[in-house]
Amino acid sequence: MTLAQKLLAGLQTSLGQTSVALTVDEGAREVNCKALQCEQLAVTVTDLTLETSELAGIDLPRIQAASQALCSRVNYLLEPISPIETDAQGCTVQMRSNPPQQDDNGCRYYELLLRRGGSVALHRYEKQPGKARVRVPAVLTHEVLGRLVDDFSQAVDGI
Amino acid sequence: MDIKRDQRRFKQIVRGRIRDNLRKYITHGEMIGRRGKDLVSIPVPQLDVPRFKFGKNGSGGVGQGDGEVGSPVGKPGQGPQGAGGAGSEPGSGHLMEVEVTLDELAEMLGDELELPRIKPKGNASVEAEKSKYNSVRQTGPESLRHFRRTYLRALKRQISTGVYEPLEPRVIPIKADKQYRSWNDVPIPHVNAAVIYMMDVSGSMTDDQKEIVRTESFWIDAWLGSQYKGVQRRYIIHDAVAKQVDEHTFYHTRESGGTRISSAYRTAAQLIDREFPAELWNIYCFQFSDGDNWGDDNRQAFELLTDRLLPRVNLFCYGQVESPYGSGEFLDSLEKQFAGNETLVLSEIPDKDGIYESIKTFLGKGR
Repeated sequence: MTLAQKLLAGLQTSLGQTSVALTVDEGAREVNCKALQCEQLAVTVTDLTLETSELAGIDLPRIQAASQALCSRVNYLLEPISPIETDAQGCTVQMRSNPPQQDDNGCRYYELLLRRGGSVALHRYEKQPGKARVRVPAVLTHEVLGRLVDDFSQAVDGI
Repeated sequence: MDIKRDQRRFKQIVRGRIRDNLRKYITHGEMIGRRGKDLVSIPVPQLDVPRFKFGKNGSGGVGQGDGEVGSPVGKPGQGPQGAGGAGSEPGSGHLMEVEVTLDELAEMLGDELELPRIKPKGNASVEAEKSKYNSVRQTGPESLRHFRRTYLRALKRQISTGVYEPLEPRVIPIKADKQYRSWNDVPIPHVNAAVIYMMDVSGSMTDDQKEIVRTESFWIDAWLGSQYKGVQRRYIIHDAVAKQVDEHTFYHTRESGGTRISSAYRTAAQLIDREFPAELWNIYCFQFSDGDNWGDDNRQAFELLTDRLLPRVNLFCYGQVESPYGSGEFLDSLEKQFAGNETLVLSEIPDKDGIYESIKTFLGKGR
């Protein structure tokens, strides 16, 4: 079973539950998924992270190339994703929705971080006018969640 | 005389119009591109340009066309009505360009925002050379010839040589009599100010954010320039690494690196060490960022602020410009860490309209 299949199977056992925290692993890779609510169709995810020691010794150009590849694969979320900042010191690439979703109620965007060490993580943020920016849950269907985990895995494979 | 009075009155009207719309000019950077060395050219819409008004003078024009002897020449306004009408397209409006000095502009800004005059710290201990015409020499251009001294010297010569005749007093200077005004460089105590601008040019800062920074810096610069003679400006840009650049590079660079604000603080501290001893200079730091500092960098940034910057500057202003991704957490962190610190001034700039309040916050302290 792949990581995605394991995670989706775990979600099936958590249907209807709130504050769900699931961890599945496969070899050196581990996926942590925290969700506020798990429904039949979708999951409100607050944190989705793939952690692996396979990213321990890689250099910045390879991390950058992997982030580019990841952005071109993840084209099924609410907004397109692209690399925004690269931290050479921490060997981390920050990817965000580009452009973010904007309306009268402020802006919302996904943020993906690919770190040497290492991990790939996805979060969603919201900034309402006059208020501080906060992390908000991302509503993802089971299918999209599974696909994301597959793409995170492929990003690690490609490095 | 009349036309001078009219001209003066027109200038007053123009300045009044600029004052009325100053808020708009402050928030929109259109005039920055029109900046000369000391003058700024401002487009003033809806201003009636002075024009000559012709009187009737009770006479018509010269007759044209076929006519018989004795036919009366028509009076003005009595001809048949033409078929013309108002145009269907909207008028383009007349934009008049008015030139205002930077000092005048700064004065208007001060009045509009009710900014207190800055009280420089320390003594006027930095000396600047200024040329003063306080001596005389025997060579020089004719335009600088000292007539009184030249004639006095000629008179002395004529008296001593017996050429001078009191009954026919005629004094004619020769080349050796000529005296010319000359100057000396005099050291004059000066209160000097150094302004250090710092900007985050990391990937999350877009051109819109930089435009806001540019506009705000223009007004800050105009105000400080009016308060100090001899303002030195330095520009620092940073993403994860900081460097000192010229003004053009400052406003037109975009990098894709991560944000490490401590790098800018370190470069600013080194610059102060090297060029602006705190006891001789009034130092102002203005830093602009979207506040998305990479988490682990805050500690280093705060240490540099506490140890190397805040004790040496008159004012440290941090403006957090909102990016398409909202505002980061750096401003909140600064607020918590340095609560009650008089030297540190914080301002959040959500958009262009926020520039006005931000300038007021930064410069309203009178330091």
